[in-house]
Amino acid sequence: MSLLESLRFTKGDSPLHRMDPRVKFIMTMIIFTLSILFFDLIPLMVVFVFQIPIVIYGHIWKEWLKSLKGGAVLAVIIFTTNLLSFYFFQGMHLTGGMVEYSLSLTMRFLSLITSFSLFFLTTSPDKLSLALEKAKIPFEFNFAFITAIRFVPVLAEEAQTIMDAQRSRGLELDKGAFLSRIRKYIPILLPLIINSIRRSLELAEAMESRAFGATKNRTNLYELKMTKSDYLALIIIIGALIVSLYARFYLSPFPKVISGTLLI
Amino acid sequence: MGTVNVEGLWYTYPNVAEPALKDINLRIKSGEFILLTGPSGCGKTTFCRCLNGLIPHFYNGEIKGDIRVDGLSTKEHPTYELAKHVGLIFQNPDNQIFSLTVEKDVAFGLENLGEPKDKMVKEIEWAIDRVGITPLRERGTHELSGGQKQRLTIASVLAMHPSIIVMDEPTAYLDPVGAEKIFGVLHTLNKEQGITIILIEHRMDLAVKHCNRIIVFNKGQVINDGSPRDVFTADETRVIGVGVPRMVELGRKLRQNGIDINIPLDFTEAFNALAPFFKECTPSTTKEILPGLNDVVGEYGYSPIIQLENISYTYFTGVDALKGVTLDINRGEYVAIMGENGAGKTTMVKHFNGLLRPKEGKIIVDGEDIAKQSVAAISRKVGLVFQNPDDQLFAEDVEEEISFALRNFGYGEDVIRERVNWALNLLDLENYRKSSPFILSGGERKRVALASVLAWNPDILILDEPTVGQDYGQKERLKHFLLQLRTQGKTVVIVTHDVEFVAESQPRIVLMSQGKIVVDGAAKNIMTDEKTLKVCSVAPPEVTKLFSRLDKFGFPSDVLDVDEAIDLITRRMKRAKT
Repeated sequence: MSLLESLRFTKGDSPLHRMDPRVKFIMTMIIFTLSILFFDLIPLMVVFVFQIPIVIYGHIWKEWLKSLKGGAVLAVIIFTTNLLSFYFFQGMHLTGGMVEYSLSLTMRFLSLITSFSLFFLTTSPDKLSLALEKAKIPFEFNFAFITAIRFVPVLAEEAQTIMDAQRSRGLELDKGAFLSRIRKYIPILLPLIINSIRRSLELAEAMESRAFGATKNRTNLYELKMTKSDYLALIIIIGALIVSLYARFYLSPFPKVISGTLLI
Repeated sequence: MGTVNVEGLWYTYPNVAEPALKDINLRIKSGEFILLTGPSGCGKTTFCRCLNGLIPHFYNGEIKGDIRVDGLSTKEHPTYELAKHVGLIFQNPDNQIFSLTVEKDVAFGLENLGEPKDKMVKEIEWAIDRVGITPLRERGTHELSGGQKQRLTIASVLAMHPSIIVMDEPTAYLDPVGAEKIFGVLHTLNKEQGITIILIEHRMDLAVKHCNRIIVFNKGQVINDGSPRDVFTADETRVIGVGVPRMVELGRKLRQNGIDINIPLDFTEAFNALAPFFKECTPSTTKEILPGLNDVVGEYGYSPIIQLENISYTYFTGVDALKGVTLDINRGEYVAIMGENGAGKTTMVKHFNGLLRPKEGKIIVDGEDIAKQSVAAISRKVGLVFQNPDDQLFAEDVEEEISFALRNFGYGEDVIRERVNWALNLLDLENYRKSSPFILSGGERKRVALASVLAWNPDILILDEPTVGQDYGQKERLKHFLLQLRTQGKTVVIVTHDVEFVAESQPRIVLMSQGKIVVDGAAKNIMTDEKTLKVCSVAPPEVTKLFSRLDKFGFPSDVLDVDEAIDLITRRMKRAKT
């Protein structure tokens, strides 16, 4: 969970925060594609290292380190399970190539986390919704998306309160067999569901009272405008994509870092 | 602009037999500040929903009669058109904030109306300035305090330039100082912008000085309508049990005793009326020394039942909610915990039954360290009733609801039946035994929640905000009920913002601010200490405010309760005559 938690947007003001969300989205998708495209350690490391200046550019290195820390356990699991499966399925021996391959998979994972961090840590949900709006997604969906984000902390708090109230009435969730334990969640789920229904009614009432649906041509307080630096960023990203694609298809195979000799 | 005309309005909700509104006829003029009141379920909220066309457009049901807002019929015009004329604000701010930042939320209505961007920016700046949240403009809405959220909801409707603002109990969840701020904002909007204000409120003592007209609802009808003075002294109002401001009560009773000071609405008016009767004299230096805490709790011989030793608690978000709290609560004591929103009151009481475990410090309940005990085990002694009954009611009928805890504690069927009957009886719920808790009214649900905890007869009862959303009659019943529990030797702890409730039942008060206990003592000592109260966002009760000014006429300044006040003034007057 800490991995998801660490991907939450925190307010900031950096060139990356101000970048057009569409450009940023394309950037993330390109990094994502590159991470999947390469299998060797060296190019994957290049993709990873290439992102570090962007992280610094966005003043999010602290949050980024946190998300790496959140992903560390998974990274270790990826590395060891790969290594172990090589060891057990390839005749109980280990070569340097296998270690390198496991390392590159881990590197790919870290690279993916970083690309997501770059996007989600610097893009406010408001801007994201604006980008969706520009992509001609109907406002109703867009509104549902924003509302979902808005109510996550509210619902979490409510669930906690309900749990506390029922535990104060002697409900012990961690006692009993598996099936009876599931039954014990009824006193928690029921109020939560009923409150949510009540809440959605109240929300609808409040939306109506704020002229929801008054006109088809709904305006938006924020506007998206591609600036010069956005175009520049777009050119750089696409340039990087072309160079990488060239490298992938014409320069491979890439040299290895670890020699392929038998280790164990 | 800002007018409402209602003629012969009847309304029945779908699938309900009894009409919710019966023959309402009202004329509201531009620039009025109106207080709507009446016992819960009297139809005031339904009436508000009629004002911007939620009824009949959103709710359907059967509507008869005519209602015109700024001359527009609410039947013919859809709610989004009426939204430009009537800003309707609901009780719970959380359910009417849609956006993630303050300015975006204020823009929501304008965006819906399709306003151009530069106009929106201007309106937003104006609206947030009017309600005083300009510095919060770029803040995330989830970071705001309750009072700030409520002010944001006002700004959000204000941005659409309504000529009428309708608010349904905006201050229910706020501390007294936060509530005063909301009333202040409404007051300026009314005076400076000429906006008609229609307000539903149970906190009469605070609201009354701003309004110039009160409309009383009962059972779907308007039973009284007029100036505050007339309405509060009318018999119809008194009979149905609408809360009357303490100063009105004072003036009325004094008049019965032959002392006419007219009917004051707040303490300044009362003071100005009373002052001419008395000669100024230097405050008596030989003022009787107030009994200390020792004397107050003396009869229980200091046997602590809950002991907190220097406890601290930090939420996972990094907020230090409690910073070294030490507190002893004695057997049979009645304690009120007060302080600003976010002072750590609820966090503290959640430690009493082990829901939260202190990061540092020790908690002893009934002589035993509870660190190793389960919540269920501690709860047998410490019953905790939460603020909102909707956070716990789930069973098919009231009987099941009350027996839930008894089953968890493993009582036998015979005992359960007996305890359920006892609890139903005690809280006057016998008639609802087989009703679903979800169809009951708010006040009844609150009583079911209380019964479901009382059923296992815990020695210590903790109530979080028991008076929120309760009308005058329900509060009175609760007050008597708590006194009754005390006579049975129960220890009762309440967490509350309700100063007047505290003033009348006079418990020991623990005042908290920013995770610490600021002061702890008898109600009389604490409620008269205006400076300390202010630190904790609590305002003294009206009676106390009056007597702190009457001090210079030789009156004691530590008077909390209207009856005591009347007694003191009457005796003084009689002495002066002889």
